[in-house]
Amino acid sequence: MSDTSRDRLMLVVALAMAAIYLFPLYWMYVTALKSGSDMFASPPSFWPTSPSWGTFAYVWESRNMGRYLWNSIVIATGAVTLVAVLGTGCAYVLARYRSVWVDIGLFLILMLQVLPASLMITPIFVGFTQMGLLEYPRFAVVLAIAAKSMPFFVVLVRATFMAVPVELEEAAQVDGNSRIGAFVNIVLPLARNGILVSAILIFMQAFGEFVYSKSIIQDVSLQPASVGLNSFMGPNTSEWNNIMAYATLYVTPILAIFVLLQRRIVSGLTSGALK
Amino acid sequence: MGIRKHSIAIALAATCALTGLAARAEDVTLRLWSLDRDIQPAPNLIKEFNEQNNGIKIEYRQLQFDDVVSEAMRAYSTGKAPDIIAIDNPNHAMFASRGAFLDLTDMIEESSVIKADNYFPGPLKSATWDGRYFGVPKATNTIALYYNKDLFEAAGLDPDKPPQTWDELLEAARKLNDPSKNIYGLAFSAKANEEGTFQFLPWAQMAGASYKTINSEGAVKALSLWKQILDEKLASPDTLTRSQWDSTATFNAGNAAMVISGPWEIDRMLTDAKFDWGTALLPVPQEGAQRSSAMGDYNWAIFSSTEHPEEAFKALEFFASRDSTMYQDFGQLPARSDLPVPPTGDANKDAALATFVEQLKYAQPRGPSPEWPKISKAIQDAIQAALTGQLSPQAALDQAAEKIKSIEG
Amino acid sequence: MKRLTSSVTDGHGFDAVLVGVPFTFLFLLSGLPLLYNVLMSFQEVDMFSLGSFIRPFVGFENYADLFRQPETVPILINTVIFVLGSIAGQFVIGFGLALFFWTNFPGASWLRGLFLVSWVMPGLVVGAIWNWILSGDFGVLNFMLREMGLISGNIFWRSDPSFSLWAVVLANIWLGTSFNMILLSVGLSAIPGDLYEAAEMDGANAWHRFWTITLPMMRSTIGAIIALGLIFTLQQFDLFAAITDGGPNNASNVAQYWAWDLSFRQYDFGRGATISVIMTGFVMLAAMVYVRSTRHEVRG
Repeated sequence: MSDTSRDRLMLVVALAMAAIYLFPLYWMYVTALKSGSDMFASPPSFWPTSPSWGTFAYVWESRNMGRYLWNSIVIATGAVTLVAVLGTGCAYVLARYRSVWVDIGLFLILMLQVLPASLMITPIFVGFTQMGLLEYPRFAVVLAIAAKSMPFFVVLVRATFMAVPVELEEAAQVDGNSRIGAFVNIVLPLARNGILVSAILIFMQAFGEFVYSKSIIQDVSLQPASVGLNSFMGPNTSEWNNIMAYATLYVTPILAIFVLLQRRIVSGLTSGALK
Repeated sequence: MGIRKHSIAIALAATCALTGLAARAEDVTLRLWSLDRDIQPAPNLIKEFNEQNNGIKIEYRQLQFDDVVSEAMRAYSTGKAPDIIAIDNPNHAMFASRGAFLDLTDMIEESSVIKADNYFPGPLKSATWDGRYFGVPKATNTIALYYNKDLFEAAGLDPDKPPQTWDELLEAARKLNDPSKNIYGLAFSAKANEEGTFQFLPWAQMAGASYKTINSEGAVKALSLWKQILDEKLASPDTLTRSQWDSTATFNAGNAAMVISGPWEIDRMLTDAKFDWGTALLPVPQEGAQRSSAMGDYNWAIFSSTEHPEEAFKALEFFASRDSTMYQDFGQLPARSDLPVPPTGDANKDAALATFVEQLKYAQPRGPSPEWPKISKAIQDAIQAALTGQLSPQAALDQAAEKIKSIEG
Repeated sequence: MKRLTSSVTDGHGFDAVLVGVPFTFLFLLSGLPLLYNVLMSFQEVDMFSLGSFIRPFVGFENYADLFRQPETVPILINTVIFVLGSIAGQFVIGFGLALFFWTNFPGASWLRGLFLVSWVMPGLVVGAIWNWILSGDFGVLNFMLREMGLISGNIFWRSDPSFSLWAVVLANIWLGTSFNMILLSVGLSAIPGDLYEAAEMDGANAWHRFWTITLPMMRSTIGAIIALGLIFTLQQFDLFAAITDGGPNNASNVAQYWAWDLSFRQYDFGRGATISVIMTGFVMLAAMVYVRSTRHEVRG
């Protein structure tokens, strides 16, 4: 078998596997386009013969999705900002030095990364209640998410800083830069890509966050889209086309960003996660 | 461009809102939570109320069934309770007994709209704690049997003779059951929340049990019947996880030939069900056995933390003043003995009305007990354990009886 | 004062601030809650004592109560099944895919990246989609299994206690497989190619090469991935909320979901905290395994 025909065969097999693996996603899109009666047809149709595009507008309006998505964006942006501001410097220092203390710091950070949110929410909720933080529920969720995802960010970004040669920074200092100057002018620009990719990953996670938002935010007008989806689904098992339309509107932007930046995200992820 | 257009629209809206606010700067805003969907009373009554422009505005929030108690508890304990809530009647006592609800006795005595004597004793009792009124019944309901007359005919059953006894019910369900057409004989809800308890207790009570004697022979017999229905696949296995509203949706879609549910379904059924349907009283264990049913529905209550008790009570008075058209508008029954429910002119709706009014005569309240949620949880656990085959009906109910005993002390 | 400022802008003070602020933040929002959790597990905390600082101290009452409850042991067993089932599925499928894409044909890396969409999707959305796919009477999976002749009657994934836990496992495998695959791919590409060339010259077949070269070379990667899998699996919450809600009758309930349920549905924060403390112990153990297995990489 020649190399090209082998390649073609592999490609076909790979495409078939991708099709099987991504079927759930496809099923979401197809169901969103079905009408109420098509949805429960037996046998089910695998292609939307008469797509009803009106479902999207209907769900957007009736579920008040604009507000939900806006809250998701506010929460995710807040969390990413906080994480990036606090985490970048931390990652830099942990990359710059080698000592027992750095190892201990890294160990502590890893330990904090592993705690499941659904277990942490009990003390966080009670603590926040006592401190009166529940008055600002979205801010409270931003704090909680930031604490949860910062360790991940630090680990990823640290790997990026490791790739920046210390000599460059020292040269900048010789040229009269202060530590801050060298950090801001030389190191940060070089690590920009890694930081950006990590921030996008954190944003995606925060955009879909559920446990903290569900438990902390009681006011519907401040809840993010994940909680909105949960309250749509909860009592409802008959409107699957509408639920899938909601899901479509919710995840398509994330998926688009991901597919566009796929190469960078994957390489950013693989450089940090295992190291 | 799109964004700019949008922001102009927002600015316009904001200006309108501002001028509106300026005109009524003294408006009192009340927050009200309930379970009602857009075709049910609360949001519509609120809309009407707000249109009066009487200086009181109500903000509505719809809760999910499972969240009513927990959200209300959490809100109250963190000082963020709404002013008014519609609470499921068996849970009323828990809030009242802990001082979370406002004592309305004096206001009711002075009111010309809400009079205690006008209410059915059952619903009123559920809003009463220690001889004082802590709420006003919002509506009342009970469950009965809906059946698909077209499917009855197709299966060779008389559409004017719905099943009267448990045996007849089983028999009919077997005949109507048609897996090849995706049709189940019966639909009901054994969900692990208050709905499961609500649907199960009438069966136990008809056989002579009560929640205090939940492991007696009658209750075991009732649970065994449920188990048989599920074991024979006469009802969808999803009965265990589906709410009454969703179970009835399968009936409306023609995927179940009979369903057990309440009058809140009627309005949706009128539009969704593309077949002829009828209603019947809940079947009894054997001919001549005592009838029973569950007394359901919500009470209005005002949280004791409200800053506007008088305005909130005014809102309740307004809601009570709309009781007379409640069946006409929403297919729900007012909990009032002084208001005859007039016929609506829709034959199906009026026949259903007759069934439910008759069935209500046998309705029994759950509790009242300040620990009802825990008692109910014990019963739900028993139902689920028996129906999933993890325990026998007797063993499951024994466990529940044990738990209830320790809860009641 | 001046020395302090100059140290912050140009000396070790700079490092201290960069590290100190985030660590303080993390301590306040992760460390303290952890300790607070332990404290609450010895208290009686319900909705009425939520806001007060002084609460009845009950000693080990919460722990004793917990193990008296009949559902505790089944839920812990469920947790173990969920973790083992998910990790096994994610790892085996992920490894298979990684090996396949490792053969490197045109488009391989792009397609491989595409698999990761499952990982970036919000867990709740993944749960919603699987809930619909697994639906009993109208689910597409039941339809396919029927068409293939694998089952004769519908499986009620969400309502049948013998399947409900597996419904969540299935969704979780789908969610996590791609992440496993990517990490394993990284491990594979780090194996020097000349090892294989030498083995091939010695006449070792593909199967043999896999056992003698690939697996041994991947040992630390595999260790890390399994530890990571354990950590991620124990974090899984959204799928339970979206698919089974832990039901029916706790048949698909696991510790991390139960802890939340006790706190936020039954308002027994004390007992919720108790489960959290126990589970946190287990998670920390897994994390130590993970750190050990990646220690040399951490040192860079």
